[in-house]
Amino acid sequence: MAEINKMAAEIADVQPGIQVPGFSLEKYKYLWSDFMNGLWSENPVLKLVLGLCSTLAITTSTQNGLGMGCAGLFVLTGSNGLISALRKVIPGKVRIPAFIVIIAGFVTLTDLTMAAYTPVLYESLGIFIPLIVANCIILARAEAFAARNPVDRSIMDGLGMGLGYLLTLTVLGTIREIFGNGTVWGASIFGENYIPMIVFILPAGSFILLGLLTGFFNQFTGSKKMTSTEVGCH
Amino acid sequence: MKGINKLVIALTAVCLGTALILGGIYAFTRDTIEKQKREKKIRSLKSVLPPTDNEIDKDYIEIDGGKDRRGNPVKVILYHGKKEGQLVGTAFSIIAHDGYSGDIEIMMGVAPDKTITGIEIISQKETPGLGDKILKEKWRSEFKGKSLESKTDKGIPFLDVKKDGGGIDQFSGATITPRAVVKAVREGLKIYERASSKS
Repeated sequence: MAEINKMAAEIADVQPGIQVPGFSLEKYKYLWSDFMNGLWSENPVLKLVLGLCSTLAITTSTQNGLGMGCAGLFVLTGSNGLISALRKVIPGKVRIPAFIVIIAGFVTLTDLTMAAYTPVLYESLGIFIPLIVANCIILARAEAFAARNPVDRSIMDGLGMGLGYLLTLTVLGTIREIFGNGTVWGASIFGENYIPMIVFILPAGSFILLGLLTGFFNQFTGSKKMTSTEVGCH
Repeated sequence: MKGINKLVIALTAVCLGTALILGGIYAFTRDTIEKQKREKKIRSLKSVLPPTDNEIDKDYIEIDGGKDRRGNPVKVILYHGKKEGQLVGTAFSIIAHDGYSGDIEIMMGVAPDKTITGIEIISQKETPGLGDKILKEKWRSEFKGKSLESKTDKGIPFLDVKKDGGGIDQFSGATITPRAVVKAVREGLKIYERASSKS
């Protein structure tokens, strides 16, 4: 905030002609709404229904959900920022391959870093880390948002969408771990005699739970029809 | 033509930039990843053996482990765990192909007197909550101290699931997984016996 104000003041000093009043606040509002958009009103999983492969498959525990969410958040924010910065340089005809290369770069970066510094998590997420490349959320945001908006807004969008993804995965993972395994973050909560409801750990339970969660979420936020261009993925 | 050139240049630049950055990151993380892999290997080797004090991952021999289902020869690497120069156990990994879903990789340790010192599941894709109970310490410890000669009270070989007359627990709802593990462990013991009778 302070920086933006300072910048606005500097611009006003040098070029008095430029409209300054309300500039910083307006911009701040934009960024905030971009952020909240991804986190809440256009939650990538519960609202846009994107990236379900990893969502359904990996959320068998809180740790997995959180780890996958963090990886997604990082890749999404990074690729959104870089793609937005390069959006005027990359010709429209080759934008998709260029985006994919950039996304794949960020994913490989995440993959290597996790393999080196969080080996246990890396092991349990397995193939789903490299598969982030094919995660629809990332390319959808690149196509629908980052390719059309300035860097700061794209980064905020990436952060919002990424956090929305992370939160959904963590919530799903926690519920599935509690009922399907009787544990929270690996610690038993129901005691030794608890017989886990295995269905929650199995893919079927994942589908049921995601369906219920989507239903509740849409009940709260009100449903809004989205076109495929808005979603950015078909 | 000019338009095409622009596309080629843009795409090449993006790929080149990405490749350069990733090359740097690979070089930076390579050593750490190698170290992690080695530590993981040593950890799994040590977990199935009594206490050792040698560099266990560097003290090994490769032996012929028979043929797999496709007829390709299988190599088994026997790691020797030593304490004060004395062999206390041999650790090696075997793969059970007939699990419920996919291969189960098992690390097993065998003492010089051909009894099992421990088993550890390295990788498995069994049904969560059913087949993956093989990961539990309590179940795995049933193998400790047993050999191919071990018998149950009724004089039946111990290394079999209870359903088949042996002494190893199966889990209700999941017999296939423990049966596959037990079978693989028996195979492993036979491989070890063959190797030790030769040397």
